[in-house]
Amino acid sequence: MKFRSLAVAAVAALSLTAIAACGSGDKNEASSGPKTIDVWLMKGSVSDDFLKRFTDDFAAKHTDVKLNVQIQEWNGIGAKIIGALASKDAPDVIEVGNTQVAQYSASGGVRDLTDKKSDLQGDDWIEGLAGPGKYEGKQFGIPYYAANRVVVYRKDLFAAAGVKTPPKTREEWLAATAKLNTGGNQGIYLPGQNFYVLSGFIWDEGGDLAVQDGDKWKGALGSPEALKGVEFYKQIQALGKGPKDSDEAKPTQTDVFAQGKVAQMIAVPGAAELIVQANPALKDKLGFFPIPGKTADKPGAVFTGGSDLIVPEASDAPDAAYTFIKELAGEKWQVDLAKSMKYVPNRKALASQVTGDEGTTAMSAGAANGKATPNSPNWAAVEAKNPIKEYLTKVLTGGDPAAAAAAADAIITEALNSGK
Amino acid sequence: MALAQAERTAPATPAEKPSAGARRGRPRVLPYLLIAPTILGMAYLLLYPLIRNLIISFQKFGIAQLIRGGADFVGIDNYQAIFTDNKFWAVVGRTFAFTAINVVLIMVLATLVALLIDALGKWMRFLVMGGLVLAWAIPVLAATTVFQWLFQSQLGVVNWVLVQLGFTQFEGYAWFADGTSTFAIIVIMIVWQSVPFAALTLYAAITTVPKEIYESASMDGAGPIRMFGLITFPILRPMFGLILCLEVIWVFKSFVQIWVISQGGPGDATLTLPVYAYQIAQSLNRYDLGAAISMVTVLLLTVVLLAYFRQLFKEEGEL
Amino acid sequence: MKPKRIVLNLIALGVFAFAVFPVYWMILTAFKPTKDIQAETPSFFPTNITFSHFSTAIHADGFWLFWRNSAFVAISGVLLALIVACLAAYSVARLKWKGRQAFIVMVFVAQMTPWEALLIPMYVISRDTDMLDKLPMLTLIYFMMTLPFTIVTLRGFLNAIPPDLEEAAQVDGCNQFQAFRRIVFPLLAPGLLSTSLFGFITAWNEFAFANLLIIKEQNQRTLPVWLSSFSNTFGTDWGATMAAATLFMLPVLLIFLVLQGRVTSGVAAGAVKG
Repeated sequence: MKFRSLAVAAVAALSLTAIAACGSGDKNEASSGPKTIDVWLMKGSVSDDFLKRFTDDFAAKHTDVKLNVQIQEWNGIGAKIIGALASKDAPDVIEVGNTQVAQYSASGGVRDLTDKKSDLQGDDWIEGLAGPGKYEGKQFGIPYYAANRVVVYRKDLFAAAGVKTPPKTREEWLAATAKLNTGGNQGIYLPGQNFYVLSGFIWDEGGDLAVQDGDKWKGALGSPEALKGVEFYKQIQALGKGPKDSDEAKPTQTDVFAQGKVAQMIAVPGAAELIVQANPALKDKLGFFPIPGKTADKPGAVFTGGSDLIVPEASDAPDAAYTFIKELAGEKWQVDLAKSMKYVPNRKALASQVTGDEGTTAMSAGAANGKATPNSPNWAAVEAKNPIKEYLTKVLTGGDPAAAAAAADAIITEALNSGK
Repeated sequence: MALAQAERTAPATPAEKPSAGARRGRPRVLPYLLIAPTILGMAYLLLYPLIRNLIISFQKFGIAQLIRGGADFVGIDNYQAIFTDNKFWAVVGRTFAFTAINVVLIMVLATLVALLIDALGKWMRFLVMGGLVLAWAIPVLAATTVFQWLFQSQLGVVNWVLVQLGFTQFEGYAWFADGTSTFAIIVIMIVWQSVPFAALTLYAAITTVPKEIYESASMDGAGPIRMFGLITFPILRPMFGLILCLEVIWVFKSFVQIWVISQGGPGDATLTLPVYAYQIAQSLNRYDLGAAISMVTVLLLTVVLLAYFRQLFKEEGEL
Repeated sequence: MKPKRIVLNLIALGVFAFAVFPVYWMILTAFKPTKDIQAETPSFFPTNITFSHFSTAIHADGFWLFWRNSAFVAISGVLLALIVACLAAYSVARLKWKGRQAFIVMVFVAQMTPWEALLIPMYVISRDTDMLDKLPMLTLIYFMMTLPFTIVTLRGFLNAIPPDLEEAAQVDGCNQFQAFRRIVFPLLAPGLLSTSLFGFITAWNEFAFANLLIIKEQNQRTLPVWLSSFSNTFGTDWGATMAAATLFMLPVLLIFLVLQGRVTSGVAAGAVKG
């Protein structure tokens, strides 16, 4: 008896296997009906609202293409994208961080879209996205959006603490933040491992993350300028309860902010949308100002971040994928995206259509002092096992900055110069 | 058993002449038929990937090769690269230290707990065994999540308890920022998860030792420690051997616990061989170096357990 | 005699507390209202109970789907391993053949496979055989992960069953297979169940392969992959995180409570009489 029931169960399991194997093959059968394309967008790149508006409109316009948008986590995304590029049936469009396009393009798994450039008015693209999207003269990445960090703050808490105008210099900023850091509120929520913020502070001092000498790179965290940058990071970080051993994604800092006990955080302006989504009560209480610089006449330096869209070679619907890209990277949705997510649109000509918003104004003020991470195809390898994050944790928990910097520099130097 | 087998099959053959060939063949083919699925499975799902891994370790194999194929052979370059890297030897040393610390703790604690259970009354025994089962049953991923929560710098209960006990320096203390404390937390977690299996198995084995032996020994005036050394341990030696061997394998290979909690950091404080191989392959996309490291890992583990395998081989031969 | 007993019981209570506390804390947190979780002074007993974290976890996107996927790969992998291991264990425990020693050692060696090392080769093999994004590939991998241990343990159980029983049945006219089915199998069934437990836990827990081999078909994901994106899914919501961890642990715990005793005695039998 028992043997029989076991056998039945086994057969059931095996037939389930067969069914599951059939289930995933449906995409290829749909040659007559609408073509389904899979799109990977990154978490935080679009809000639920925007995505719904976009997909509804897309479905109405392009009845021959069915959209399947999946939102991916940043954590571990590199391995995942490589896994997808190397597969036979990859997603059709993938959003990729601007600093990483070169690495994927060089591997040969990404479709060359140079011939689409004029169709997308590519001569007008902003350089911070179009440049990194190029590899050996060919355009692999289509500019999607750009953004840089600003300070997002709570207007009501600032007023309550008697801070009338947003700070313009580092001294004012420290003083205001100290005032706000009372009564169960955090003056600023700055996780210990936000290395983009540190980069800004280091650039302000005239230092850099790594310097090039001939064709050799060298980590530069140990330079006197960079050490001054980390010293300021330590000062401002202490005026809140940001975890010293974690970055802005763990826990998601917009969620921390949404709980209502945080006066400021450093993020792209679009984060405001996510905060309000999590806590609608904060809707009219959020303000923005550029990260203060050393002097009032120049805002703090910021990393110009953003994303490009790529089409994997292994996509089986490149035309439909391009239809999607043309919509999302086109004027209508770029303006909408820039307005609703507070991004910098991918074309210079569109910038004029999105002025007037407080977040975007603060961002473009900061963008005037925009900078990039060291321009080496190996930089992605540095970020993959980010020694700068551990360096920050060591310094914030009382370690000797110079010694910790030397250790991190050694790793950066090795990663940038390894002949991969 | 071997004799019984022979007796069982021998008379059957002459009795049925017509199908004698098939009949005589069957007992000899049957064992191989029965292990055939195992062999096939292992060949395709274990040996074949392992060989592919070995091949990769002799190639230049990065993202481009993964996507486009066509990897070039580079001889022993990858092995040379890792063997000349001081970091690799540091990782090897750390892996052995990590394994030794964990396994010693697990074996000692598990033996003590097993003896304790044996000495307890019925209800207490039930309680302790129930508790052990609970700790054993928690899936590794859930356990790592819980331990991260226990040792959180802000709302973690461990910091709270320590502060209450007067150690105010632990207010908001970031455990996972320091190499030694991260290492210690991972050890505690692995020991906590491994002791139940070892202890319960040892206890089950202890109950198979006839009570009369203890009684006569205690009449001879032997104390509990002497009794363990003279009776329990010698009788259960194969059992201790098996558990020791399993724990060495499991601890040496532990990956998820370390990866989820610290990814080998901070610094390299918790970087052991499996984590190192994974890190190099998945984060730096040097699949070739990762493959070489993992082949060395297999080799090292085999060497460590060689004595045990030889013993195993001999024992199986005696049956 | 008395004081010694008291000391022993105190130690036992200590062991119990140490073993249980993390699990207790996980379940307690899952039932605590967020306000209590974030309180400066944690409460160690369930004063206010809420089910809201469980409802958050259950209503998170795809929870049931992932639960089903996990159950499918774990159960099918373990069943496959049990069937194959049963055959091999019988061959090893009951029959005498050349190469038997080598086979047993090989099974033991197979147990030390560092599986993370096989990620990339497995990826390449799955891709080349069109098995990416398919749960049955995970079933096969989990089958192989659990097979060696299953063979070792089942052999232990088989050794514990006296061969005379089958011989008697064969004298009564049963053939070898019938003797196995009617006599050995009923005796072995508890052992089969408890051995399956180990396999189930391994498969239920597995993360790396599930993460790498399921790429595009997100609704083929398994629970551990989903669980690992916890902190991202729920942000700082430790209540929901612990609720999800509790739900993740639940099936394992249930099976454990039923089967635990037999597992250990099986391993013991396997080693002592091995």
